[in-house]
Amino acid sequence: MVETVTRKRIEILVDTPLVPRLIKHAREVDISGWSLIHVDAGGGHDGAWQHDDVTEAAAKTIILIIASEAKAAALVDALAPLLDSYGLLLTVGDIQVVRGDRF
Amino acid sequence: MIVETLTSPVILFFVLGIFAALIKSDLAIPEAFAKAMSIYLMAAIGLKGGIEVSASGFTPDLATAALAGLALSFLLPFFAFALLTRFGGLGQIDAGAVAAHYGSVSVVTFVTAKEILTGQGLSPAGYMVAVLALMETPAIISGLLLARRGQLNSNTESSGNGLLHEVFANGSVVLLVGSFVIGLIAGKDGFEPVKPLFETGFRGVLCLFLLDMGLVAARRLTQSKKLNARLVALALIIPVTNGALGVTIGTLIGLDVASAAALGILAASASYIAVPAAMRMALPEADPGIYLSMSLGITFPFNIIIGITLFSQLASMIG
Repeated sequence: MVETVTRKRIEILVDTPLVPRLIKHAREVDISGWSLIHVDAGGGHDGAWQHDDVTEAAAKTIILIIASEAKAAALVDALAPLLDSYGLLLTVGDIQVVRGDRF
Repeated sequence: MIVETLTSPVILFFVLGIFAALIKSDLAIPEAFAKAMSIYLMAAIGLKGGIEVSASGFTPDLATAALAGLALSFLLPFFAFALLTRFGGLGQIDAGAVAAHYGSVSVVTFVTAKEILTGQGLSPAGYMVAVLALMETPAIISGLLLARRGQLNSNTESSGNGLLHEVFANGSVVLLVGSFVIGLIAGKDGFEPVKPLFETGFRGVLCLFLLDMGLVAARRLTQSKKLNARLVALALIIPVTNGALGVTIGTLIGLDVASAAALGILAASASYIAVPAAMRMALPEADPGIYLSMSLGITFPFNIIIGITLFSQLASMIG
């Protein structure tokens, strides 16, 4: 059976124009891998929204990161002061990964 | 003129989009198709403007219109900011962000206005496309100055190269200016081989694009929870006063009636492409629910349905 190790899966829902800022924070805590996931629509405290490619005014993206516990904690600490002003939705969970040395 | 405008297919398709969104129809324009239409329209309007300027040359009117546009874009946010803080009750940061939208311009409003005015025999000068491009960015600087009490770089997290890149490399600005320059270089003869693509289908594409924009604008408005009666009122008052000022200045500097109307429509329009992204980067603490709902949900439909006719009538009256 393939051996797996525990890592942290971090998901950040963010307004698309702010994605480069968050990637910069991830790099600063030595996280080198991430994926960006297009989001079509959603809703929350401030009402519903829909992505439209024309204005991209309400575009949102999910940044998906898999990292070690230490790196994940460092990223969460770095993002904590920005949660309200950037309107971030940040979740962190345990996952099992193969090839754990990559994360 | 009003009936003629309101019954034109361009406006009726926009109204259809609004209606479809209001009755929660599942009508949707595929995202990639809508994006392709916006690229087509911006390329076409830029090309046509460049070709007209290549024919007419760089005239004093072009220079004065460009200066007037730059001044309007830079100064209009100060007026909007005063109204937004005193009457609208917004804080400094939100007011600065909203004010930037009202100094900048809406390309789609301009394209629609140019089409409607041309259909009525009032064709704005080709150089107004250059004025449109020039008016995109000064308002962003004014909005940031207002939001940060005169300091552009008080927040290192929110400024710097990323913002500059967003402002000057914004896709719509690059395409518009690039197409204008291509039109300028190619001239009328160079345009002939590609004319069928950019001219024959222009009006039909604009109809479909405005159908999509009607859907987008109405959905933005109905999904917003951030607007109150005062902000709704300001989203109507600011474009009317800005537009009247733009028409008056255009007339005073000697522009023809159509170009003065176009300058008024540019002043009345509010950005919902370049500025929201720039504000999200530069002022992340400003609430996008306010500035998007005002500019895209209220001012944009107002200008398309009423503003274009209003400012062209005003330009005809005082011109």
